[in-house]
Amino acid sequence: MYNDAMITVRLPQKKTELELPGPRRVMDLLAEAGVRPTTVIVTQGKKLLTKDHRVEDGATIDVLSVVSGG
Amino acid sequence: MKCKRCRRAEAAVDLPSHHAAFCPDCFFLFFRRQVKEGIRKLRLLDPEDRVLVCVSGGKDSLVLWDVLMDEGYETEGLYIDLGIDGYSDRSREKVLAYAASRGKTPIVVELAKEGIPIAEAARCVRMQECSICGTVKRYFFNRVAAEGKFTVVATGHNLDDETARLLGNLLHWQRDHLARQHPLLPGADGGLVRKVKPLWRVSEVETAAYGFLKGIDYVTEECPMSEDATSLVYKEALSRIEDRMPGTRIVFYKGFLDPSNPLRKGPEGEAAPVQEDAPEENTVRGTETDSEEGGGAPRACASCGAPTYTETCSFCRMKERVRKARSQRAARVSR
Repeated sequence: MYNDAMITVRLPQKKTELELPGPRRVMDLLAEAGVRPTTVIVTQGKKLLTKDHRVEDGATIDVLSVVSGG
Repeated sequence: MKCKRCRRAEAAVDLPSHHAAFCPDCFFLFFRRQVKEGIRKLRLLDPEDRVLVCVSGGKDSLVLWDVLMDEGYETEGLYIDLGIDGYSDRSREKVLAYAASRGKTPIVVELAKEGIPIAEAARCVRMQECSICGTVKRYFFNRVAAEGKFTVVATGHNLDDETARLLGNLLHWQRDHLARQHPLLPGADGGLVRKVKPLWRVSEVETAAYGFLKGIDYVTEECPMSEDATSLVYKEALSRIEDRMPGTRIVFYKGFLDPSNPLRKGPEGEAAPVQEDAPEENTVRGTETDSEEGGGAPRACASCGAPTYTETCSFCRMKERVRKARSQRAARVSR
């Protein structure tokens, strides 16, 4: 359920979603989610976020893997 | 964090490997400059070139097409429908939608119609899907380019792709592959078209950021056939190093490309052949070991006429193996 006291971190390629307490920097959220910063871009709506961007409670961010294989 | 270039707008992209962070407008300038430098330094393209851009629906190839069009190159897109359930349909939709947004209609090759859909071919010839895919794609890249009078084929391989391949080739001391690995593979008489990788200086994060900020709608899901690809293991290792030591990847690759690097020569120190129609990728886990490298001009494949260094090109040999496997299966079913 949507929780406006938490940050929603969506990882669409892994089909998972995390609820983490904020406010926190993107790099800290990635560390908590176990994602290495050089393998993803992080977006909030139409905005691209830098790794030191501070995300507030109630926000939803998307962590998009950029690694292509084959 | 403010943009390090204009110092006014809020940064959207941070690039530790360049000690920089950019707002969207300044990042567009930075990214395009990186691509242009990559083209200029290695003389990948001439302004008069007719460029066949190979597009998969993923971020790299669509971003490459976008940048080359914006830079004024004459381009057409080539999409190869691999015949992979669902994934190929979604990829094709992205390619067609992007092309339409730029007033283009891509050339489409359907492997099912060509008699060699990837999944079935992999089962028939017992090779890794990625090896088959590489062979088939290279064949059609060259064939479509030669038939369409394109002067060059461009693919969206980026710095991460190239360094992963370099690491794999080094770990297994694939000296013949090392000698061939380069963002420029010159063409040759006999219908071998020049191949270039203009994104060799930019990382996957950079192409993804460029695509996102430009509003390019690309396929974010991975090819289901590539889950076990060895290149992902090398990428993982390199990204761990890059996290700890930003900038290592570009230093690694630029050092490799240095003309004085002895690994850029063939195993015996002779000038290395530059194109072949065998897999370019590290195929240690695959079964395709019959390297077809050769010097001088290629000859025409006895079966299809495509340029090759052997009697029959690897695509035709693979197609023949698929045909035989199909008839054996049909014979078993009818018994």
